[in-house]
Formats: sequence, C-alpha cells, structure tokens
Amino acid sequence: MRERYPASRPVGRRQFLALSVAGLAAAGLPRPARAQAKRSGELVAGLSERMLTLDPANHYSISSTSVHRHMFDPLVDVTNDSKFVPALAESWRAVNNTTWRFALRKGVTFHDGTPFNADSVVFTLRRVKDNTKLIKSFVYQDIESVEKDGDYAVLVTSRRPFGSLPAHLTMLGMLPASAGKNEEAFFQKPIGTGPFRFASWTHGDHIVLSANPSYWKPGVPRVEKVTFRFIPELSTRAAGLRAGEIHVVDRVTPDLVETLKNSRGVKVFDVPAVEAQRWIFQLAKEPVKDQRLRQAISLAIDRNVIIKDLLLGYGRPVDSPVPPGLIGHTSLPPKPYDPEKARQILRQAGYTNVTLDFVLMKDLYPKQLEITQAVAAMLGEVGIKINIKNLEIATAREHRSAGTYDMFFSGWAHMPHDPDWYFGQWFTRAGSEKLTRYNNPRVEQLIAEGRVPDPKVRQAKYEELERILWEEEPEIWPYYSVAIYGVSDRLRNFEPRRDYYVLLSDVAIV
Amino acid sequence: MRAYVFRRLGQAALTLLGVSVLVFVVLRVLPGDPAKMLLPEGAPQSAVDELNRHLGLREPLHVQYAIFIRSVVRGDFGQSFQYRAPALRVVTERLAATVQLAVAAMFLTGAVGVSLGIVAAVRRGTRYDFASTLFAVLGQSLPNFWLGIMLILLFGVALRWLPTSGFESWRHLILPAVTLAAFPTALVARLTRSSMLEILGRDYVRTGRAKGLAERAVVLRHALRNAAVPVLTVLGLQIGTLLGGAVITESVFAWPGMGKLVVDAIFFRDFPVVQTVLIFSATIFVLINLLVDLLYTVIDPRIRYS
Repeated sequence: MRERYPASRPVGRRQFLALSVAGLAAAGLPRPARAQAKRSGELVAGLSERMLTLDPANHYSISSTSVHRHMFDPLVDVTNDSKFVPALAESWRAVNNTTWRFALRKGVTFHDGTPFNADSVVFTLRRVKDNTKLIKSFVYQDIESVEKDGDYAVLVTSRRPFGSLPAHLTMLGMLPASAGKNEEAFFQKPIGTGPFRFASWTHGDHIVLSANPSYWKPGVPRVEKVTFRFIPELSTRAAGLRAGEIHVVDRVTPDLVETLKNSRGVKVFDVPAVEAQRWIFQLAKEPVKDQRLRQAISLAIDRNVIIKDLLLGYGRPVDSPVPPGLIGHTSLPPKPYDPEKARQILRQAGYTNVTLDFVLMKDLYPKQLEITQAVAAMLGEVGIKINIKNLEIATAREHRSAGTYDMFFSGWAHMPHDPDWYFGQWFTRAGSEKLTRYNNPRVEQLIAEGRVPDPKVRQAKYEELERILWEEEPEIWPYYSVAIYGVSDRLRNFEPRRDYYVLLSDVAIV
Repeated sequence: MRAYVFRRLGQAALTLLGVSVLVFVVLRVLPGDPAKMLLPEGAPQSAVDELNRHLGLREPLHVQYAIFIRSVVRGDFGQSFQYRAPALRVVTERLAATVQLAVAAMFLTGAVGVSLGIVAAVRRGTRYDFASTLFAVLGQSLPNFWLGIMLILLFGVALRWLPTSGFESWRHLILPAVTLAAFPTALVARLTRSSMLEILGRDYVRTGRAKGLAERAVVLRHALRNAAVPVLTVLGLQIGTLLGGAVITESVFAWPGMGKLVVDAIFFRDFPVVQTVLIFSATIFVLINLLVDLLYTVIDPRIRYS
C-alpha cells in the first residue's frame, strides 16, 4: 500500500474564503451554455494501482478514487489549484464552529432514476461514521449528528470543530439511501450520480464505465465509454501508451520521461504535486532527539543535487512543511546547504562517530534508494555514518511503530487538500505516539485551534505552527514531488492533477 | 491399485492439514499489522485496533485457527482483508486467468520442448542440435522479466502485432504464454534430448531398425515412449508450479493471475487470501503429483502400484 494518499490541494486563504463563506454561491451562477457537444469515442487509462472495491467509503487508494469519481459525485469538489467548488452541494457554510450546513443541488438523479436528496447525504454520512469496518470511518468519528434540514439541505454537527470537513467530503461519493438494504449486492453493481455508469469490472484487470446521458453537468461527459486498466508495472503501462492502446498513464517516473517524449503520439505532462517528501526522525531516541544534531543533518544535505541529478528536475524545493496552494502554506526561508556549519555544530555538541539507521519502505517512492545513498554520502562528509535499511513495507512500518529507527523515508500527499490530517497525525502526542513520538504542547494547541472552519484563523494558526516546525526540524522535507503523466496527443482538455487523480469526465478524444 | 490411490489421498489430506497450520502460523508471526496496511498512514491507533477487532485478529492464535478450520470445512475461507469479499471468490476469480496462462504455456512447453529435444537427439552433432541447444541455453538463462519486456517492445510497441498487456482475448495470451514457456521449454528440450540419446543407443532400438521399421516409428513409438517418463515428471512439476501463479510474467503483462494476487496479499498481510491460495495450490500440486504417478503406469506397463 502506498503511503501516499490522494493529495489534497491547498486552498488559498482568499479562495477558501471566497468559496466557503460565499457559500460557493455557484448555485446562483449562470450555467454554461448547454453546448451539448456531441459525445463520441472511448478513453482508456492505465492506472498504477489495482482497484480493490467499488465502495467509495472503504479505501484511501488514489487509483480507486480516480475510478470512483467517475461513478459517484461528492458533495464538494476540488479543483487542480485546490479550490473547493460545488458538486452535489450547491453551497455550504459554517453555521458555527461545530456545525456545517450543506445546501444540495436539485434535479439530480441517480443512475436508476431515483432522485438525489438529503436522504442520500444523511445515509452516506451516517454510514461512514457508524460502520467502523469502513476504511474511511475513522476520519468521520468527530461527527455527532447528520440531520436533514428540508429535502435539500443537511446539517452536520461535530463534537469538536471540523474545519476540514468540506475537504474530506471531496473524497466521499454520495450513495442512494436504498444502498443500505443490501450493501453487498449494491456494490456488485453500484449506482451513483456521476458522469459515468458502471458497466463491468474484470477483477484485477480493468473496469468499464459508460456515459450517463442524463448527467446534471451540461456537456459532460464527452466520450461514450471509459476503461480503466490496472497495470502496476510502469514499463508495461508506458508500452501500452506508446502502442496506442492506452491514452493516459499515471505515475511516470523521471527516468522514463525522455523515452515517452520521444515516442510518436505521446505527450508528457508534469505538475508539482500536493505531496511533500519527508524524512522523519525518531524523536524519543538518542541522539536524533537532539535538535542540534537534526540541524546539522539538515545542513549537510544538498537538496538541489537530489532534485537536479537524481530526480532529473522532477522535484521542487521546499519552502514549508505544507505544499503551496494548501491552506496554511507560508513561504519560509529555504534550508541552506552548509556542511562546514554542520561540522561545527557537531563539534560543539560533542558528536563524534554518530551512526544512524535510515529505514526505507522498499520500492515505495521513485528513486528512494539512490536518494538515500546520496544522502548517506553527504552525511558521511560531515562524519555521520548512515546504515540504510531497505525493508519490506509492513516490516518497515513495524520498526516505525516500535521506534527502532533514527530516520525514516516517507512522504505525505495531502489527500483531502487540507493539512489538518497531516498535522493531527504527526504533530500531536496521541497521533505520533506510534510514529515519531513528537510532543510540543504549543504545536498541539495550534493544531486544535486550527480546526475551526474560519479560513483566516486557520491560516494564522498554521503559519505560526509551520514556523515552529521549520525551526525544530522534527523531520526533513527534502522536496515536493512532481506528478508526471504520459498522455496520447489525441486527448483534448486533459488536466494533469496535482493530487495524482486521473479525471476524464471533461476529456475528449479526436 | 485402488488401495494405493486411497492411501495417497489420505496422505494428501494430512499434507494439506500440515500446510494449513504452517501457513497460518507463519503469516501471524511475520512482522506487520494487517489493519495498519489497510488503513492510510494517517490513521490513529484506535482505528487500527478497531479494524483488527473486525478482522478477528485480536483472538488468541489457537482460537483463530479453530474458527478458520471450522469455516474451511464449510467451504468458507474467510473474508479477504483487502477486497472485503470472500477470499475464495477473490481467488477463483483469478483462477481463469491463471489456468489459461498455465495451459497455454504447458502446451507450448510440451509441443516445442519435446520436438526440439527429439530433433536434437536424432540429429545429434548437426546444426539442428546446435540450434536446439542454443535455444535451450537462452531459454533457461534469459530472465523472464527482460524477455517479457523485450517481447512487448518488439511485438506490441514496434510492430503493433499483439496487445502489450491485459486479459481479454486469445491475442492477449500469446506474449505472456511465450514468456512463461521459455524456461520450461528449454528445460524439457534438454531433458528430452538427453533421455532420447540414452534410449536411442539401446539394443531394442537397434533391433527395431534391423527388422526394418521406419525411422519415424523407431523414434516416436519405441524411443520416445521410453524416454517420456522423466519428461512427464518434469512437466507435472511445472504444471503444479504454473498453476500456483507466475508472478513475474503476470506482473510484466498485467495478467490478473493468482501469482501476483498472492504476492500482493503477502505484502498487504491479507491472511485469508494467502491461506486460500496456498492451500489451493498445495491441493493442486498434490493431486497432479498423484496423477503423474498414475500416468507412469500407462506409459510404462512395467510400473505397478499396489
């Protein structure tokens, strides 16, 4: 399982304000002219992960989310520049710090013709909250109640402020209330309100979706049929693209870009992802619990060499723990490369012959082993010896839980385009208990205060929090990842997503 | 004969019980937590504990095993952790792909491997022999991964004669079957050659030729039949292996077979799927071995079981 979750895009403060406070007044916006572009053609996408389930509440897989997004609509959608925009909710607003009100779109029907209304939302939200077997359930445990407010509005109250709720809802497809009668049967052949209908699924190989002719968004979808093929092996995915069998592939690695660019009929798109790589320290363990040592390590790493020579430019320098665009992002001074200063700090602090274990989850991140080897060499220059432990993922994670590591190669895609999850997990005592053992009461307080719905408050809290983290360096943020896609030149209107989704509803083929 | 078969079946049942215990215990002593692998990184410990409870992993090991065996007897192999569906269904869904690929590869192996071996033996020392040996060496030394990618690049990307990957029509089957067959074909070719050479030197072959039998009859009816016993053994073992899944070939061609399924399941600590696949392939392996032993009696009437 990847440690990457669907990345979420940060919402700029103003955007967020404009969107959420104005209640995404899109309800009242004039609809685009009903330019009923003629639907034609078929798209084939090659995804890197196999889809395991058709239940949108039961996974955090990015590939599965890509597929599900075509069948099920969420209440809230998120654009590629991390703006939250209406989907099945026409607008939403925070009634108070612990209550959200969602006004729903009217005239939307599920694929079987039954109307979408407040009952669907109440069912979907209560289900994910109450059924703790569902993988997404833990995210919604703060919800206290979900109530109808008429047929086309829903009130969601939570035990504590839940400012990131609209962001989380971008990942939760709405189900018809009738799904509850026999869930197992429902998810064999599910229906949603999305632009495509489920047609067939050959497990482990591909899923076929056909256009929903009565989709509520005019002019969408633009093709008759979409097939998602699951091809975990990148060279095979790329071969399918080059052979013209597949029109778009995700998760291209930097070293394959040139090959694809030189292939007839293939274009390569890249975009800075909403994912930050992070090398975490075990903060309860000598000697890396010492901030001076961590600072020396940070100073001894030449991030530009990693980005330029190992990632071939497909990485971005980091200026904040949270990638640009997300709420809370603030641009902080770049971390310098200064091995001389690193040596000096180590000397002053009395560190000689330091040996550290750097644990990797095997084959999870592109180029991770080469990058770690380069870092080991850089740290060797200042007298720190690195033991690289390249372990099978489950085993590596056990080491992390047990705290038997010094450094750990990791990454975080801000899945719901909101940093609350990341902060809450890694920088609160309870969250980091089995991870890094981070503990700073001030940071914990800022995270709690940053959970309110008001984007201005959130931005201010997160800025302060990020400054503290930037100073403490409880982890090293070496680079932001770049999402690379290989795309057939027959596609029109393809948008390379920063969250690694492959979304084809608005894509045409010529 | 019948008593022999029953005895072997009894032994098979014991073997399978042993396999089930072994698989069950080994999976659970491996480091790694299934719930943690299912949940995203950012899941709190409480969610991990809750999910493990739902998965039935908080019971003592012997209780878990008792529940498992009781269910297996009823034909229920448990729910796959990853797929949230009955493990048996998840596995059988992949069975069609696995069987197709295995049968196609075995067909190639038998047809090509045995033919090459015969030609090489009969034309010993000629360029046919040399070509066949070269093929055998290549087939056994080229890594499947590399061979698969090269076939894809040549026939899929450059020539566009065949699809690069996927599981749909018979055309999708060709490249993976060739890739998978390369190694066993080479093995069978070499084995057939040496086995045939030995037989062709026997007195009864000389007698056959002396009494004026056509060369074809000498080679196919008298020599091959006697040379076939070791070849059949190897083919049987290969079928067992292939039916268990061919991980690398399946990965390269995105073929939805059992090999990749079980490797992923081990990786994600999806215990029910691993258990199902292993018990399943152990069963097939045991049965095919039995079948091969019985086939010997058909090929070589001197072999008798009692």
